[in-house]
Amino acid sequence: MISPDVLALVTTLKMAALTTIILLLIGTPLAWFLAKMQSRFKVIIEAVVALPLVLPPTVLGFYLLIAFSPQYLPGQLWQQATGQQLAFSFSAIVIGSVLYSMPFVIQPLQKAFEQLGDPLLEAGSMLGAGALDRFFNIVLPSTKASFITAASLGFAHTVGEFGVILMIGGNIPGETRVLSIALFDHVEAFDYAQAHLLAISLLAGSMVLLSAIYLLNRAAPKTPKTAKKAKGK
Amino acid sequence: MNLNLNFQLDFPPFNLTIEQVLSLQGITGIFGHSGSGKSTLLRAIAGLEKDLVGAIFLDDSCLINHSDRKPKTFIKPEQRHIGLVFQDSRLFPHLNVLGNLKFAAKRCQNRRLDFNEIIKLTELSSLLHKQVDELSGGQKQRVALARAILAEPKLLLLDEPLSALDRQAKASLLKLMLNIQKQLQLPILYVSHSMDELQQVCDKLLVLSQGKIIGYGGIHQMIHQLNYTQNYALSHASHNAQVENDLHQQTSLSLPIKTLDNGHGLAVLSLSSALDEQQEIYLPALAKNTEPLHEQTLRCFILASDISISLIEPFNSSIVNHLFAKITALNSQGNKVLVTALYGGKKKNGGEKKGQEQIFFVNISTFSQQQLALKIGQSVYLQFKAGAVRTYLY
Repeated sequence: MISPDVLALVTTLKMAALTTIILLLIGTPLAWFLAKMQSRFKVIIEAVVALPLVLPPTVLGFYLLIAFSPQYLPGQLWQQATGQQLAFSFSAIVIGSVLYSMPFVIQPLQKAFEQLGDPLLEAGSMLGAGALDRFFNIVLPSTKASFITAASLGFAHTVGEFGVILMIGGNIPGETRVLSIALFDHVEAFDYAQAHLLAISLLAGSMVLLSAIYLLNRAAPKTPKTAKKAKGK
Repeated sequence: MNLNLNFQLDFPPFNLTIEQVLSLQGITGIFGHSGSGKSTLLRAIAGLEKDLVGAIFLDDSCLINHSDRKPKTFIKPEQRHIGLVFQDSRLFPHLNVLGNLKFAAKRCQNRRLDFNEIIKLTELSSLLHKQVDELSGGQKQRVALARAILAEPKLLLLDEPLSALDRQAKASLLKLMLNIQKQLQLPILYVSHSMDELQQVCDKLLVLSQGKIIGYGGIHQMIHQLNYTQNYALSHASHNAQVENDLHQQTSLSLPIKTLDNGHGLAVLSLSSALDEQQEIYLPALAKNTEPLHEQTLRCFILASDISISLIEPFNSSIVNHLFAKITALNSQGNKVLVTALYGGKKKNGGEKKGQEQIFFVNISTFSQQQLALKIGQSVYLQFKAGAVRTYLY
């Protein structure tokens, strides 16, 4: 029999990994679009993306809870498509995490793309490289460090999530009961020993992850040096 | 190969308006001050400027057609088979030298060129495994040049590729450009604000000022034409354009080499006249490896301020070069006079012999002009020291 805390750990890692992958997939084009965008509406999109940074997680959780419930369209559509209720499901907490951790992925990528600028891309197209070719063989390797940062921050921030999950996921073991919720449970039950154990592991885990990011970023400092120079002229 | 340009492009503070057919053979220079639109012109040809109205054709293939009537066409830069070497190299920092070169070679469809041969030609063998940021400015541009060539373009564009380099690196890259052009028969459009560089390597010259073409023709002819327009729009620009501008009134020449070193530290060129006379022109001796370039001829120039005029033949003079010439024009420019003199003109009484006429440009003060009472049609002696015959490459 697997212990509830280990199950919570597995659920957490599953949620964070899935969230990170989804965020990289939708965040990369969005960050690219924002970096290249010159319209006035850019500010508004940027503000929307950054909103989770300042909003209390419970606000986001509250609106998502309403949206995910079967009375409202998103929840209804989901139920028609999958036959399952969206609120209080694993899918719900992944969707919530994607929205909640979005700025942590988009912002570093957008910044990296802006810094990279056009010079190297123009050089690439003059050598016969098409748009996808340029992205995978120039942009990606040149901004590798920022991708590592974005993925790690997105992952770590998702692991540390509490408010949104409590609102839309509840506390279903193996489904929506993640480490932060389990910790809260232990405290409510006055089981401080277990609470300590979880808290210290989360703390240590986050510390290790963040140190690893900074170490990696220092090892690969040569992001777009030339691009900056060219921009300055 | 013809490049047919007919377009307008918003280019603050004015419009870039280009209407010209360029016949692309050898190296065509594009000259103009900063802000004259020459880099933008290259970018339009490359396809990096899309917001233009009009059309560009390379021979029969349409690169862009954004005129009102026909359906719009735009060929992406990566499909144009045009190479571009930027002022700032733009080597990929995540790849080493070899990686940068392979990037180009891999994406090339024809692969007519031998990879190793290009590396040999551009003298990069010893640098292949270096990181890009370990290279000097000149080395970077050599890699950028090799990379552009390995993509095997139909046309190569060079956008001020030498402007960040020191004199020695400039000269060695210019020689490399000449060599590449000759060996690969690759048409090159070369943008620069340095007439010294252009004079050495270009066959033709296009001059831009404030977004408009103000001249297009053979290199010597265009340089001579610019002598008359010294105060023209070129010097409009900004104050520092004066400093940047190395355009001097000059005589631009391509002359057959007779001797590289006559044993007295002088090289000898020959200047022939319509009368089939051979006049020797002396200049400081040239290094032995000079010969193969430009088919045994030497590109050189003489500043108008380095030539003086004498009414009698200066026999007893240390000035080794003197020519008999006839004044064809006198243009006063402030307190100076630009004298145009023709050497080797046809004999008046019907001499049929074909030969060469050569114009020379002389800058003198109005004071001297009055002292000598110079008039159009007058015959004079032009004299200049060997050291006044300059060449940028050697």
